[in-house]
Amino acid sequence: MSSQIQGRYFGTGKPLFGLYFKTAILTILTLGIYRFWAKTRIRKYIWSATSGDGDSFEYSGTGLEKFLGFLVAIVILAIYLGLFQLLLAFIGISIIPEDDSQAAIAAQAVAINLSILAVLPLMLFAQYRARRYKMARTRWRGIRFGMEKGAWGYAFRALGYIFLTIITLGLLNPLATFRLEKYMADRSWYGDARFEQMGRWQDLYAGMKHVFIGLGIIIAGVVFAIVTEGVGIAGVAAVIGYIWLLIGLIYYRVYAFNYLTRNKVLDERVMFDAHLETGAVIKIFVVGTIVIGLLMAVIFGIIAGIVASMSSAIMAGTASPALFVGLAIPYALAFLIAGGLSLVMITQPMIKYAVESMTVLNAVHLDTIHQRAADTGADAEGFADALDVGGAI
Amino acid sequence: MQSVGRFFDGESGQRLSVDLSVDTAADTLKLSHPELPMGSQYWPLVAIRALSDHARQDQLVLSLKADAALDSALIVTARLTVDDPDMVSILRRLCPDIGRVDVPKGTTGRIAKRAGLAVGALVLMIFVILPAMANTLARFIPVEREVAYGKAVVKQMERFMGGRGDQGLTCTGSKGRAALDAMIARLTDAADLQYDLNVNVFDHKMVNAFAAPGGQIVLMRGLIERAKTPDEVAGVLAHEIGHVEARDTTRNALRAAGSAGLLSLILGDFAGGSAVVVVAEYTLTASYTREAEAEADVFALEMLNAAGADATAFATFFDSLSELERLTPDLPEYLSTHPELVDRAAAARAFARDQGVTTPILDDAEWAALKKICT
Ligand SMILES: [Zn+2]
Repeated sequence: MSSQIQGRYFGTGKPLFGLYFKTAILTILTLGIYRFWAKTRIRKYIWSATSGDGDSFEYSGTGLEKFLGFLVAIVILAIYLGLFQLLLAFIGISIIPEDDSQAAIAAQAVAINLSILAVLPLMLFAQYRARRYKMARTRWRGIRFGMEKGAWGYAFRALGYIFLTIITLGLLNPLATFRLEKYMADRSWYGDARFEQMGRWQDLYAGMKHVFIGLGIIIAGVVFAIVTEGVGIAGVAAVIGYIWLLIGLIYYRVYAFNYLTRNKVLDERVMFDAHLETGAVIKIFVVGTIVIGLLMAVIFGIIAGIVASMSSAIMAGTASPALFVGLAIPYALAFLIAGGLSLVMITQPMIKYAVESMTVLNAVHLDTIHQRAADTGADAEGFADALDVGGAI
Repeated sequence: MQSVGRFFDGESGQRLSVDLSVDTAADTLKLSHPELPMGSQYWPLVAIRALSDHARQDQLVLSLKADAALDSALIVTARLTVDDPDMVSILRRLCPDIGRVDVPKGTTGRIAKRAGLAVGALVLMIFVILPAMANTLARFIPVEREVAYGKAVVKQMERFMGGRGDQGLTCTGSKGRAALDAMIARLTDAADLQYDLNVNVFDHKMVNAFAAPGGQIVLMRGLIERAKTPDEVAGVLAHEIGHVEARDTTRNALRAAGSAGLLSLILGDFAGGSAVVVVAEYTLTASYTREAEAEADVFALEMLNAAGADATAFATFFDSLSELERLTPDLPEYLSTHPELVDRAAAARAFARDQGVTTPILDDAEWAALKKICT
C-alpha cells in the first residue's frame, strides 16, 4: 500500500460521446423521461473512469430512484410555485400602477425578480441535496461516501452569504466561498471517517488579486476619461479590464479549489494536495470552445445552405411538410452533437485535469476505515432535477 | 483457469488480492485468500453482475446479485475487480446474466403510484385550485386597477401585432367610429353594465376579436370585413362584452400567471422541449374555460334580444366561420379558442325562433361607414 495516491482518469472521448448521443436520442423519444437514466449512465461512466491506486470509483445511483424522487418534487413544486405566482400576479395587478408602459415594464421586472427570490432558497436547498445524493451514491473500494442532512441550514446560510457578498460589492466573496464549502465539507464522510475543512477564509484574498486588478483597470479608465474627456483610452481600458476580470474570476475559482483541497483532512490523518493551474484550465476551455464553434458553424452553414437553395419552393408554399421535418431533424441532431462535444471536449478534460492534479497523502490510513451505515435519508435529487441545478454532470 | 483479482468486502477499506478460479462443474467462481473467512468464497456464476457503463473496457467490476432493494444505498457492497484479460473474457462468456439490471419487486406499482400522484397534483392545480383562487381573487381587484391593467394588455397586444408609434393599429375613421358607437349604444342601452366599455378596431386582417380586463374590447378589421351584416359584428361584440362583465379576462390572467412554468418543470430542458412547452402552455392558458364561453354566448343572445336585434345573425356568423375553418387549415385564434361552432350556431337559431320583431342594428349607410373605419 503506497502512502501517496495520485488521481488518475481513464475516460476517453469516443465512448462517452457515443453514450451521450445514444441516451440523448432516447431522452427525446421518451419526451424527456429518459433524462434521469441518461444522467445516471453518464455519471457511472465518469465515476468509473476515475481511479486512485488502481481502484475505480463507483456511482451506484439509479435512474429509477432519480425519476421517483423527481415525481415527489414536482408535486411540492407545482403547489408552491402555482400559489406563489398567482398571488404575485394578483398583487401586481391590484397594487402596482400600470397606466404607462414604462411603469408596466418596471412592474414586470419586479414581479419576475420576486419570482426568482421565491425559487432561490429552493435552488440552494436542492444544491445541497444534490451533493448529498451524489456523495451517498459514490463508492471507492466498496466504501460509501456520505453527507449528513442539513440542506435547509445550507440554504439559509447561503442566502445570507449571497446577500453579504452583494452588499459589499463582492468584497466578502471569499468569506462566502470558504464558509459554505466548510459547511458542506464538515458534514462529509468517507466510510466512518469524517472530513474537516481547515484553513482561514482570509487566505482566499490572495486568489482575488486578478479580480481586483481587472476592476482597478476599469475604474482607472473611467476616472481617466472623466478627467481628460478622452473616451478612446477609457474604451481600451474597459476591454482590457473586462478580460482581466474574467480571467481573474477563473483564477479565483482555481485558487480556491486548490486551497480548499489542500486544507481538507480526512479522519485527522489523511491529507490532500491539488495544484491546478489557471492557464491549463483556460486552455481546455478555449480550445474546446473554438473547435466546437467551428464544427457547429460548418453544420449550421450546411443546413442554412439547404434552406437557401430551397427558399423559392418554401416561399411559393410548394415545399412539402416532409422537407420541414427533413430540416428539423438535422437541426436537432446538430444541437445534440454540440451537447455531446462540450461534454467530451470541455467537461471531461476538465475532470481529467482536476483528478490527475490531485494527490492523497498519508493514504495508508485509508485501510483502517470501515463502512458506514447507509444514508437512507439521502434520497434522489428530485428538486435539483426539477429546478435544473447541479451543472454539467 | 487461474488469475488474481482485487476484492473489497464492503465492510473495511482493505484491499485483498484474491486468487480466482472458475469451477465449470459447479458453475461458481472461487475467490481464495488467507484473510477471507474460511479462506475462500464461492460466487455462483448466475448471480454475478458487472457494473454497467464502466469506462474501462479492459476491466470488470463485479458484484453479486443484490437482494431486492429500491433504495440503491442498501444494495450489498462486496466488489471484485478483474483486470486479467483472459479471466475477463471467460467471465463474460460463462456468466449468463452478467449485464443484467435487477429491478426490485413492486417497481411498476411504485412508479404508477408516484406518477399518478404527480399528474394528479398538477391537474388539480391547473384545472381546479388555480382557477378557483383566480375566481376569488379577481373579485378583490379594484375596478380602476383592472382598467389600467386592461389598457396595458391591449397596448402590449397592439405592439405584438405590429403596431408602432402613437396611433398604433387603432382605426380612427370618424364616420366608422360613429357607427361603432351607435352599435354599442344600441346594445348597451337596456343593459346595466359594471364597466365602461372601451371598444376599438385594430387594422389587422385576422378574423378575430378579444376582450381585456376592465371593459377593453378589440375587434379586428378582418372580422368586420368577413361579417355579412352589422348584426353579425354585434353578436361577436356582445359575446366579448359577456366576457368583460363576467371578469373572465382578469381571472384568466391570474390563472395563466399561476400555471406558468409548471409544464416546463415536467418536461425539463431537452432538445425541442422548450418549443413543446410554449405551445402547450399557450393552449392551456390562452383559452377561457368551456363554461365561460357558454355563459358569454347566453349573455350575447340576451343582449341582442334586449336590443331588438336578430339573434340569427349570431348563428350565420358561426356558419361562415366554420366554412372558413374548412378552407384554411391554420386556424385563426378566434376559432381555435372558441370551439364547437356548429353546436353554438344551433343554440343561437333555437333562441332566435322565439324572438319577436327585430330591426337591423345599423342602417346601410352606417354599416358601410363601419366597414371603412380603417381607411
Ligand atoms: Zn369567447
